[in-house]
Amino acid sequence: MTQRGVIDRRTMLRGAAALAAFSGLTAACGGRQDVARVATDDRWRQFAGATVNFVSENTAPTAAIAANLRPFTELTGIHVNIITLELTALVQKVALDLAGGESQYHVIYADPYQVLAPYSKGLVDLRELANDPRLPGIEGGFGDFIPTQLDAVGRFGGDAVYALPYDCPTIVWQYRADLFAKHHDRMADDLGFDPTPSGERTWEEYYRIARWFNDNTDDVAYGTGHQAKQHDSLMCDFSNVLWSYGGDYFGDGERVGLYGTVEPGPCRLGSDAAVEAAEFYQRLLAIADPSSRTWDWNGLAPALSSGRIAMCPNWHEYAAANEQAMPGKFAYAPMPRGPVRSANIFGGTGIAINGNTLPNERGAAWLFANWATSPATQLANLKSDAGGGTPTRTSVYELPEVKRAEHRPSAMPNILTAPAVRKAWEPANIGLRPKIPMWNECDTAIYTQLSRMLAGDVSPADAMRETATRFDRITERGWVS
Amino acid sequence: MGVVSLTIEAPETGQRAAPDRPHRRRGRFGFHGAMMTPGLLLLAVLSVIPFLTVLAMSFSRVRLLGGVSFSFVGLEYWARFFADVDLWTQWLRTLVFFVLTVGLEMVLGLGLALCLWKLMRGRNAVLSLLLLPMFVAPVIAGLLGRFLTDSTFGLYSWLLRLVGYEGDILGGSYSAFLAVVAMDVWQWTPLITLITLAGLTAVSQSVREAAALDGAGPWQTLRHIILPSISSVLLVALLIRSMDAIRYFDIIAVTTNGGPADATKVVPIRLYETAFRFFDLGYAAVIGLVMLAVTIAIARVFVGILDRKGLTR
Repeated sequence: MTQRGVIDRRTMLRGAAALAAFSGLTAACGGRQDVARVATDDRWRQFAGATVNFVSENTAPTAAIAANLRPFTELTGIHVNIITLELTALVQKVALDLAGGESQYHVIYADPYQVLAPYSKGLVDLRELANDPRLPGIEGGFGDFIPTQLDAVGRFGGDAVYALPYDCPTIVWQYRADLFAKHHDRMADDLGFDPTPSGERTWEEYYRIARWFNDNTDDVAYGTGHQAKQHDSLMCDFSNVLWSYGGDYFGDGERVGLYGTVEPGPCRLGSDAAVEAAEFYQRLLAIADPSSRTWDWNGLAPALSSGRIAMCPNWHEYAAANEQAMPGKFAYAPMPRGPVRSANIFGGTGIAINGNTLPNERGAAWLFANWATSPATQLANLKSDAGGGTPTRTSVYELPEVKRAEHRPSAMPNILTAPAVRKAWEPANIGLRPKIPMWNECDTAIYTQLSRMLAGDVSPADAMRETATRFDRITERGWVS
Repeated sequence: MGVVSLTIEAPETGQRAAPDRPHRRRGRFGFHGAMMTPGLLLLAVLSVIPFLTVLAMSFSRVRLLGGVSFSFVGLEYWARFFADVDLWTQWLRTLVFFVLTVGLEMVLGLGLALCLWKLMRGRNAVLSLLLLPMFVAPVIAGLLGRFLTDSTFGLYSWLLRLVGYEGDILGGSYSAFLAVVAMDVWQWTPLITLITLAGLTAVSQSVREAAALDGAGPWQTLRHIILPSISSVLLVALLIRSMDAIRYFDIIAVTTNGGPADATKVVPIRLYETAFRFFDLGYAAVIGLVMLAVTIAIARVFVGILDRKGLTR
């Protein structure tokens, strides 16, 4: 019993329990605790015991790194959780994490168009970490990264470097070398030119080669296939043609693609060159495998590797899968030329560090980002059975064993594309879509209009003009991150 | 016998009756109110607060970096909503999709239920097989549909090629739309069958026998006895499916993602795109609120009909 004014034992215990629960709740909702820093001369081991969360698109380099994390853990004592997601899901989670301010993800796969451009303010300028004497610097410095890739995936609107080039898929011309060899002389006679794919072939010649396969052989069902589903892939596929015909998305396309901006100016898709490119693309798709309109890159790749089509433009990192399906039967070349140039769209991505990380978390995240993009790791990825991309470092391509692997028999199938992609990455040949924060909406506008064009709902000229109008409407609204 | 006269006293009016009524009503409300309070509080946390937040978002530009913050923009997004021709086209497409899927599911579901009802042997086995699609997650149904219609190795594509159809099912505007309708119908017709079958088992045997004795044929029995008997059950099935069909998303997202040429872009796909691809959260809030209003309106129509039939109490 409780007498008035006297607190009994049970009431006191209840009060203590409530206080403890409240304290626990406020602690859980309150400040975060940074990871511990160990006093050591070994700069790689100062965050031993920490955990780094890395969120990534489910890409080949991440698959290779996930399969071979032990060297990093042994080097640093840091445990790494890798969360792989489809790109759209990744963008959502990263946006919400940046909004939440909790830094659930320390290292972020920063797609230049969907993460870097809209959320660069939420990422760390990596130059500060690279120059911090307490942390290990970049082996070979920033200069070891392929220059166009560092600008395209690492910078946004200025000199700051927000991401280290991590993967570098680029669309190149992939073809069945065995069929081209088998029919070479007949094709050359019929077509009046050497049909062997190279950066010197034109889009018109590509069209005629595709038609020749349609009409003259039963080796494949169709000459060419494309990733023309109403999807980002359709924009990628078309952009190669657009740039090669001299068209572009915005006035200063090279700067907008390489460095990015929030205000790209008026859209240029209504230009004659863009319309001409669209007209050619419509003509090309009319003779391509009809299923092209349902394929993104993941649908197109098996069509080539299963022997359904003779050639296609696709991301070079599918080379490993091609070699696995039909060893020795594929070859790679830069994209065909249009009236102006050969354009090869670059789809590379960097890895960035979340700006909400606490100081020691940030240090641990830097160790991982630095290690994951180091020459040794990139070389290991090339040899990985789990896939692996191609290096983003110049020094790796210079290694004798990598140079040897460019020729068959090769233990690194993706590097078979190296001669083609090296050519594709030259400033004159690289294709960079606009790096603007509202790119997702613009992307949707163009691939929707292109899809309508391919379905016959609108003419190429109307599709381009309508897209230009939509781009202008979207960019006029501006961007608030 | 004498006449017994019964006199009933008139109820007391005015001053004496009045004080009693509020007292009883207050007491009842107090008890019910107390019982409902936890539920109402939970509802407030789960529904009312998010609803009010979405409402506020529809009048604001939402920033994500540095913590979520709203800056008031007035009716900007609502004005954009009324001027958005694409969105109105998508609403029209959603309506066509809604009518086709729900209509087909009701007709097929009723037909299958009647067949099963007449089936004397093996009914449970057939019903179990029939119900299988319903237990598959919609996203899996979409993936399955995509594989079956794939032009390289899809079974349906192969069958269609045998009868002379050379096009790509998901590559044509009309065929893609019909394909996603068919996938939804495949998945949800069993639900209508199940609900209708439950209603059919409740149709009185004696009434049917009486109708048969009066010379009613099968069609007349169906038209005048069975359908009126299960009309309220059918209405409930229709309500459930209607609410679902208006926010149909998974299968389209997995198969066509709104294409080709926007042929399958219904409002939920547009909402997802606006919110989670463009992060245009203010405008997405407007689209979402209108979707909510439409869903409530549809539900009210059905509940109103049920109410008129006296089935809601």
